[in-house]
Amino acid sequence: MVQIIDTHFWNPHLKIKKKIEYKFTTLGEDYKFRTPVLTSEIVKEIIIDLKKQREQYLHTSDIPTILDTIGTVTKRWLDPMYNGRQLAQKVLPLITGFSPEMIETWGFGRFLSILKKENFPIFNKLNHENFQDFSAHGDGWVKAYGSHEITHSNPNPTLIGHICAGNIVGIGAIEIIIDKLIDAATWVKPPSEEPIFTAMYAKSIEEIDPRLAYTIAVLPYESKNTELNEFLFSQSDLIRATGSELARQNLMTLSKKHNTPVAGHWHKLSFITIAREYLNKRVREIAELVSLDVSAWDQQGCFSPHEIFIEKGGEVSPKEFAKILAEEMAVTAKILPKGTKSGKMQVLNGFHQYFKRKQMGEPIEIYQSPHKNWLVIFDGVSKDFEPSPLFRVIRVRPVEDILDVVEIVRPLGKFLQTTGVAIPNNRLLSFANEIGEVGVTNIRAISSMTLQKAWEPWDGRFPLQELFEHDNIRWVSINTRNIDEEIKLLIEQKRMLNNQ
Amino acid sequence: MTRFPSDDWVNQFKEALNSNTVYAEVAKDWEGDFLFIVTPDEGLKDEVILYIDLWHGKCRKAFITDRNQRAAFVFKGPYSNWKKVIKKELDPIRGLIRGMFILEGDSKIILDQTKAAQELVNTASQISTEFEV
Repeated sequence: MVQIIDTHFWNPHLKIKKKIEYKFTTLGEDYKFRTPVLTSEIVKEIIIDLKKQREQYLHTSDIPTILDTIGTVTKRWLDPMYNGRQLAQKVLPLITGFSPEMIETWGFGRFLSILKKENFPIFNKLNHENFQDFSAHGDGWVKAYGSHEITHSNPNPTLIGHICAGNIVGIGAIEIIIDKLIDAATWVKPPSEEPIFTAMYAKSIEEIDPRLAYTIAVLPYESKNTELNEFLFSQSDLIRATGSELARQNLMTLSKKHNTPVAGHWHKLSFITIAREYLNKRVREIAELVSLDVSAWDQQGCFSPHEIFIEKGGEVSPKEFAKILAEEMAVTAKILPKGTKSGKMQVLNGFHQYFKRKQMGEPIEIYQSPHKNWLVIFDGVSKDFEPSPLFRVIRVRPVEDILDVVEIVRPLGKFLQTTGVAIPNNRLLSFANEIGEVGVTNIRAISSMTLQKAWEPWDGRFPLQELFEHDNIRWVSINTRNIDEEIKLLIEQKRMLNNQ
Repeated sequence: MTRFPSDDWVNQFKEALNSNTVYAEVAKDWEGDFLFIVTPDEGLKDEVILYIDLWHGKCRKAFITDRNQRAAFVFKGPYSNWKKVIKKELDPIRGLIRGMFILEGDSKIILDQTKAAQELVNTASQISTEFEV
């Protein structure tokens, strides 16, 4: 018996069913996706209804009720016995190519916990004047760079659109929730690479509070559908988009044409910085944690590291660290194995690229898995930042001082995003000041690079605030106030993963 | 009509809370005192600070105070926004989200007690209030 899974969601009471044609996509032997062929006529009716539902229900609902609903929905998803989760656990590995273990631990185990009620980002709009130096916020630090020139302000958006990139599984769920906190109706264009979870999540809201769910529409359509893009931009107060540089160019053209602001999150590059103080008897723990950052989501996220900078002068050399990291990559590959999208060609390309250079006599060491599942390269000579082929290919590079990293990544500027760190507290703030200045926005303890805390900014803006105000402030965060304690906690969590 | 903010208003607020059975129920787990800081704008010329000590569904103390007073939570915003809250034109949590108020203290605790916060506002709105012009 083949199970049909919808990739769309909207108010089912809308009388448009007869007008809709569906495409079916077979996935394995057990599932088919049902995707509507959306036309402007259909989407127009959906958008009119979204705005009506927002006005009649969301706008008049009290926030505690909305919070309770979302909290209940999240509790369901965190329950391994919830039927929606059980279906997603079966289907997401098939469609994304990530392993079931990755979906289970990094998706349901870690990512979904961001959606717990107590983690919702309801906090003050920060006054940038109070954050000219790194100052306490959440359980970390933040600092404001830039000037407070407001370029967009609308405290009461009625309709927000979300165009989601395929490299972040589940992002649509976060987008839906945040909109509800500011009384906005929502349409989401799910990624073609992972078209089901957003609709499944919206349906789980419908199970608890149908009228809240009917302020949400999940609209799977092709990015090149100009007519729909034009219509949706013309109807929305703001679009939040994640995507490639090409997507950025296309969407910004639409933004200008329709005067619709875009909160964009585009192509970014991330890396890891390890200080010499951690290259001692704790080095294996550090390598364990680093291996998680490299392995999480098979390095597909904008927050995934491309390179690892290791400071010289520790008890363990950068080259020795690379070897230990390779050993830990092998261990982590058992906990978080690759799925069907193995990226073996990328790993092989990485191998051949560095193998040639090693043959030419360059100070390069290559550590690889027997089945080309991962690759660790020690590169003692390159000067510039080199993007990784991804799929667990990582380059370890020595630096004399962690502050040397600032100059290496400076040319990347606005493309920088996250640096995973193991830097002692007494050196972290001076490093953060410099690395924040050149463009890094998120500084996180190693192994949590892919795990945004609810209070953290995202690409320099707070996810909730950027839905109603844009300025030229770039917020930079450190996700802990005590890196040493955080690393101890993260090691405990990693060991729990090992034991599972 | 009782002028907001004033000693009379804060006393009435305390009495109203202590006779509100809905508040007693939804705030039965609440432990913590508040400073409600009203910053000047519109007709209000000087900052006014209200101290409200809330404990398991009851209001133990409520009075106008000064900047030396400390409390577990501070909820601060301009007079014009306080007016909207008391008139029930603005949900305080929505005000917080939009930056119309500032909260100092553990926001997670507030999040867990949003129904109590809402009932605080419902209670305030029942006081016959006149505002600074």
